[in-house]
Amino acid sequence: MEQARILIVDDDPDITEVMRVVLENKGYTVDSAADGNEAMAQINSARPDLIILDVMMNTLREGFLLSRELKKDPAYKQIPILMVTAVKEKFGINFKPAAGDEDWLPVEDYLDKPVEPNVLLEKVAALLQKP
Amino acid sequence: METLLETTNLVKRAYWLVRLRWLAIAVLAAGTFVAGRFLKIQLPAPMLYLIAAGVLVYNFLLFDLLRYFTWGGKSASHKTIGRIITFQICGDLFILTAILHYSGGIENPFFLYFVFHMVLGSVFLTARQSYLHATLAVFLFGGLIVLEYLEVINHYALTGFATGVLYHSGLFVFGTLFVFSTTLYLVVYMTTSISTQLKKQQQEYERANIQLSQKDHLKNEYVLRLTHDIRGHLAAIQSCLNIVGDTIAGALNERQTDLINRACRRTAKCMAFVTALLKLTRMKLSGTVEMSYFSIKSPIFNALAVAETRAAMKSINISCEIQPSVDEVYGEPVLIEEAIANLLFNAVRYTPEKGTVRLCAKDQPDCVLLEVSDTGIGIPENELTNIFEEFYRASNAKKVERDGTGLGLSIARQVVQRHGGRIWARNNQDGGSTFSITLPKISQETPKKQDNF
Repeated sequence: MEQARILIVDDDPDITEVMRVVLENKGYTVDSAADGNEAMAQINSARPDLIILDVMMNTLREGFLLSRELKKDPAYKQIPILMVTAVKEKFGINFKPAAGDEDWLPVEDYLDKPVEPNVLLEKVAALLQKP
Repeated sequence: METLLETTNLVKRAYWLVRLRWLAIAVLAAGTFVAGRFLKIQLPAPMLYLIAAGVLVYNFLLFDLLRYFTWGGKSASHKTIGRIITFQICGDLFILTAILHYSGGIENPFFLYFVFHMVLGSVFLTARQSYLHATLAVFLFGGLIVLEYLEVINHYALTGFATGVLYHSGLFVFGTLFVFSTTLYLVVYMTTSISTQLKKQQQEYERANIQLSQKDHLKNEYVLRLTHDIRGHLAAIQSCLNIVGDTIAGALNERQTDLINRACRRTAKCMAFVTALLKLTRMKLSGTVEMSYFSIKSPIFNALAVAETRAAMKSINISCEIQPSVDEVYGEPVLIEEAIANLLFNAVRYTPEKGTVRLCAKDQPDCVLLEVSDTGIGIPENELTNIFEEFYRASNAKKVERDGTGLGLSIARQVVQRHGGRIWARNNQDGGSTFSITLPKISQETPKKQDNF
């Protein structure tokens, strides 16, 4: 599984770079996208095994929209999503889509910023191992 | 033009009018009795008692009407209550006129009581309505005395009090009416001009208040955005430093490792500060917190677990004592855990090595009392309340720990206040300090009245 392809979706190029260094150092293949549209283009051209998604891209909603979009699509809903948040969930934004019928954010796991290399690698490995 | 009183106040005033009327009825009945029995004034007593009884029934109906509109926290509109009040105020003029008719008309000096009605009216009515109110009074009383003068209606003489001829003197009747009307209009003019001024002032205060809270809100939003941005930059710096420190990006020599570690520590402190500020501001900006019933034990144990690792580094012993009956409270568990953890962290931070920190949870009739006591440096007596202010750090605390956000206790206070609890600190007799918080066991949210205007 070391050769897995990971897509990082984050509008902060420095954070993307940090995660890229950590992940590439472990032998993963890393793609990156700065917003939702770019991410969809990337996913369509090279299907990732895991998506690391920043919840606070440009607009608050974008991270939500992308994750919900992907989880609705039968072709992509199997791809695990690791959500990166700048603030601990409870104190952060309300994890509820505006007019949503579901009151949860459809992601597999969360990760706090600043990214701790070991925690990142652990979570990535755990998510990739899941069937 | 708005009237002086807001709806809730208006309701209170409406009830006040009803209460005043109970008093008036009692005074009318008692007065009739005393005048007839002791002062030997001849009165058509049965008629006056009948009026008292009629007003009694009328007042009961009004009371019921008010209760119907405001029952069980149901809120009647400003308009409805306003109408009821206007109706009462006008009705009272008729009642007073009727009473005067059966008790001597112009010869009864109680006609001066019309002035009270004018004063009362100008509190509830707009200026224009107050003048109409005065006009109604002039017509009613004027009609009464003129009709009695013309002998269209019967004059009940107050034999034993007045001579009983004055009502028949044209000069006296019209002179009195002139003074009476000018008095009423002047009273209305004076009271309305005062109440108009009061209304204006009140509106200005309200406007200033709204502006202040809007400014505060804006300020908080600004702080939120700013801290959020700063936190983003810090997170990036820290992430970069982390991977350099972890030698993922290549090996470092000893000197470099040391410098990187220093940078990491400082960034972490900065991060802690910004995070605390962010939490506090978020809490202030968020309107409501979702609350539920839960056992206070789990936040206590979670907070203890985190504090214990810090305490272990300083060989501080943390003990915990929870009364067996302590269990459910009403609130938001994560916030409460945060508040408890902040108290424990502080206790550990300002307690010298090998000291002790104790957490007690006591069951009280309607709340749970949590006490965190330590054997630390204590708090200067004159700073016991200041320490909960934002950014405030006790003078002796600054000496022990140079860095500190001064926000931990503010967050704890914000959380506790949100829950309708209390927080306070005191010094122990044998050194150290004790922080106490109370958390309600049952929901404090009474079904609030919704103002619908």
